[in-house]
Amino acid sequence: MIAFEDHFQMTDTMRKKVLELALSRGGDFAEIYAEYRVYSFINMEEDILKETAESISLGLGVRVILGEKTGYGYTNDLSFDSIGKAALTAASIADSKKMASLPAFQRTLLSEDRYPLTQPAHQASLQEKIELVRRAYLSCQMSDPKIKKVKVLFQDHVQYISVVNSEGWAAEDARPQVKLVCTAVAEKGRRKEFGFSGGGGRVGLEYFGQALSPERIGREAAEEALQLLEAIQAPAGEMPVVLAPGHAGVLVHEAVGHLLEADFNRKKTSIFWDKLGKQVGSPLLTIYDDPTRPSFRGSYNIDDEGTPPSKTLLIDRGVVHSFLQDRLSARLMGRPLTGHARRQDYTCIPIPRMSNTYVDKGQDDPEDILRSVAKGIYAEKFEGGQVEDSGKFTFSISAGYLIEEGRLTAPIKQATLVGTNIDILQKIERVGSDLSFGLQTGTCGKEGQEVPVTDGCPTIKISRMTVGGQS
Amino acid sequence: MTETPRTDSLLGLAERIVSLGKECGADEVEATVSDGREFSVDVRQGQIENLVEAGSRFLSFRVIKDQKTAHATSSDLQDETVQRLIRNAVIRAALGSRDECAGLPLISSDKVDIPSLRLFDPEVPKLEAAPKIRLALETERIALEDKRITNSHGASFITNEVTTVLAGSNGFLGSYDQTFCSLSVGLQAGETDDRVEDYWVSVDRFFKNLEPPETVAKKAVERTVRQLHPRKIRTQTVPVIFEPGMTDWLVGFLFACVSAVAVYQKTTFLAGRLGERIGNENITIMDDGLMPGRLGSRPFDSEGVPCGKTTVFEQGVLRRYLCNTYAGRKLKLATTGNSDGTGIGPNNFYLLPGNASPQEIIASTERGLVLTRTIGHGLNPVTGDISRGAFGLWVEGGEIAYPVSEVTIAGNLEQILNQVEMVGNDLDFRSPVCGPTIKIGALTVAGE
Repeated sequence: MIAFEDHFQMTDTMRKKVLELALSRGGDFAEIYAEYRVYSFINMEEDILKETAESISLGLGVRVILGEKTGYGYTNDLSFDSIGKAALTAASIADSKKMASLPAFQRTLLSEDRYPLTQPAHQASLQEKIELVRRAYLSCQMSDPKIKKVKVLFQDHVQYISVVNSEGWAAEDARPQVKLVCTAVAEKGRRKEFGFSGGGGRVGLEYFGQALSPERIGREAAEEALQLLEAIQAPAGEMPVVLAPGHAGVLVHEAVGHLLEADFNRKKTSIFWDKLGKQVGSPLLTIYDDPTRPSFRGSYNIDDEGTPPSKTLLIDRGVVHSFLQDRLSARLMGRPLTGHARRQDYTCIPIPRMSNTYVDKGQDDPEDILRSVAKGIYAEKFEGGQVEDSGKFTFSISAGYLIEEGRLTAPIKQATLVGTNIDILQKIERVGSDLSFGLQTGTCGKEGQEVPVTDGCPTIKISRMTVGGQS
Repeated sequence: MTETPRTDSLLGLAERIVSLGKECGADEVEATVSDGREFSVDVRQGQIENLVEAGSRFLSFRVIKDQKTAHATSSDLQDETVQRLIRNAVIRAALGSRDECAGLPLISSDKVDIPSLRLFDPEVPKLEAAPKIRLALETERIALEDKRITNSHGASFITNEVTTVLAGSNGFLGSYDQTFCSLSVGLQAGETDDRVEDYWVSVDRFFKNLEPPETVAKKAVERTVRQLHPRKIRTQTVPVIFEPGMTDWLVGFLFACVSAVAVYQKTTFLAGRLGERIGNENITIMDDGLMPGRLGSRPFDSEGVPCGKTTVFEQGVLRRYLCNTYAGRKLKLATTGNSDGTGIGPNNFYLLPGNASPQEIIASTERGLVLTRTIGHGLNPVTGDISRGAFGLWVEGGEIAYPVSEVTIAGNLEQILNQVEMVGNDLDFRSPVCGPTIKIGALTVAGE
């Protein structure tokens, strides 16, 4: 556990004064979010340590809510004058003389720490981190003479946040985050292909000695690039698609997760808004979002509104069970908080977001699932995807295989899967018993805000899906 | 340069970082300080949804010692923090590797006349909140008058004012002010399980040049309802017409492939191909940082190199990679004034327009697809391969027949650049990276 550091030194009296200013025009709710983050960054390429960087992000945001309206002001000048100005900016959405009375702050005690680590990266020396980078780099470079280019990035940060609000809630969190990623370019003749691998999470440097070695990260990046050198174009058209365990969780994230975020449902722009309690997909499908998984990249002890999060059942055997909530949507929809309010940083208003999203394991043997496909594709690695509120989504396969007569045959490259979510959810035919998670390196974007996430799934067979390759 | 007290204090901070860096033992130092003010209002269903207003400052710098580089950035501008960051950076640089290409550019004697670039609209800082909110409300109200529109993602009005100052130990000192404003609305049409959506945004540096609410609303409505009741099509190879917004992303992908960083890193299919014919004679692409009032214009890049005009492709032939100082030295080329932070960015990077109107391009097509939107990733600069989810309008007998969804388009950038049969006359610089309507001879459209 990392000890919380207070870089703002605001007394409760000052906080109270700011909240009073924020509510001076009659808002329903006011909140102060203070954030201090220190990043370090190392980049190795062309066999040299090319660049190191240190970054500090410090600032404070004041939010006021009145009905469905949100006012927000932020500042990175910590004078009381500037903070007061941010509070008055936030207050400007309200227009009554009603004065709220503020209760005393109750500090939330954290029941559990989701960041069990022994060697916090922000306290480690730069040399130790450089050594991890070199090890991944050399492992990738040495794997094969066809590897012509290697790039390794290491990033870590520690983020201290504190939230106090006009309901008297006060909470703090000290969140670590580490990421080591390797990209490789393999060449054969005029052909060149990329490979990528990486790992990390809310962990310390001990992770690279236990869970995932830098050597393995380097080797996996090389292997992906080498596999793609031999890959053929994916076929185009409609066919059965088998999702590999782990990485393919991005499909669930895109096709289902986003549309279960409460804001889209409160505004009725998501196709799920009127489907709570209704069967939308195969009874084989159960989906959770769980911010409480220890050490995971998407986890947190409190969300960015200070709410302790809970493992949230989204789809229960094909039935829509709940939405991912923040305070605003939960109140307007009359639903309980789930602890899914997140923000990129202090310049942003919190909105409902995913954390670690996954399809629960099913009953089927993964080998059996493959054997059931005469001709189709096996989607193994993904670059990402995108969804619209209408349920139309796309996601990009960076590597996979053809399935012929129940066996994986030729590797394929760069293909796109498109569909409409409910249609695909109903076409889930088999769910494997082999749940695993994708790389601990992912980031999700929504309304211009990037937050760390992970996705997971077991082997899944979708009976038919549109695949875009080159015919 | 407007010599306001604000600019003076930013210049003072940038110069202080440079002198502190030298005192701590750095051979070279370069510091950028920016001061931004933002206002944004989102309205939805006739009510304010979010209102954000803030001012913030940000600094970034690099130090170079013995040809080893270290970077730092901070939104904490307190003197104690700045001093610590500088000391840490000099220590970190020593742990790095010697890199003979590292270093600041030689200072240029060329000076760009900043006022003539028209980057700053003095009206923008004077705008009050109330009329800005009214513009957003008005835009959404007009859009929702159309009965085919069934829901709204809301309308937004945003303004930004940014002052950027740059100081270097090479003697460079400069600053400029910019403004941006935008008015947008996003809409849905159709019923719950058969919805379509799209949006329109007008962006300009000058408030008076923004499209009025009527125009923004009308374009958003038109773009949304034209997709109602889409059909699936079977997989086939047909001519594909890119609307300007679609040409923008194609040109954006091409930008990533001519960036000198990608070239020296060998992560682009265009590495080592300077002087070769990559596209057909319809492909002439410029990068120009000096176009008055345009979104991508600036007097100097993030290293203080004066921006200029670069011919990147000339009738299909690759003439120039876009460079910063570092990547330029790697490739033994001069910088083109495209440094952006620690990487390379476009100024105004655009495909030269042709003579055909968009209507003529559609009329010339017996059967094909007008590409209106794509979603997803699926761009690989190493190979030039493209594969994306797509939405469009089917063309039959030279006319739009019906909308199409759930298709993907796939191809290769080099093949596409060789098949540009027609180039439209409708280049409008709505984005710093842009192009007009183009018609590609044949692309694979995957459907059923």
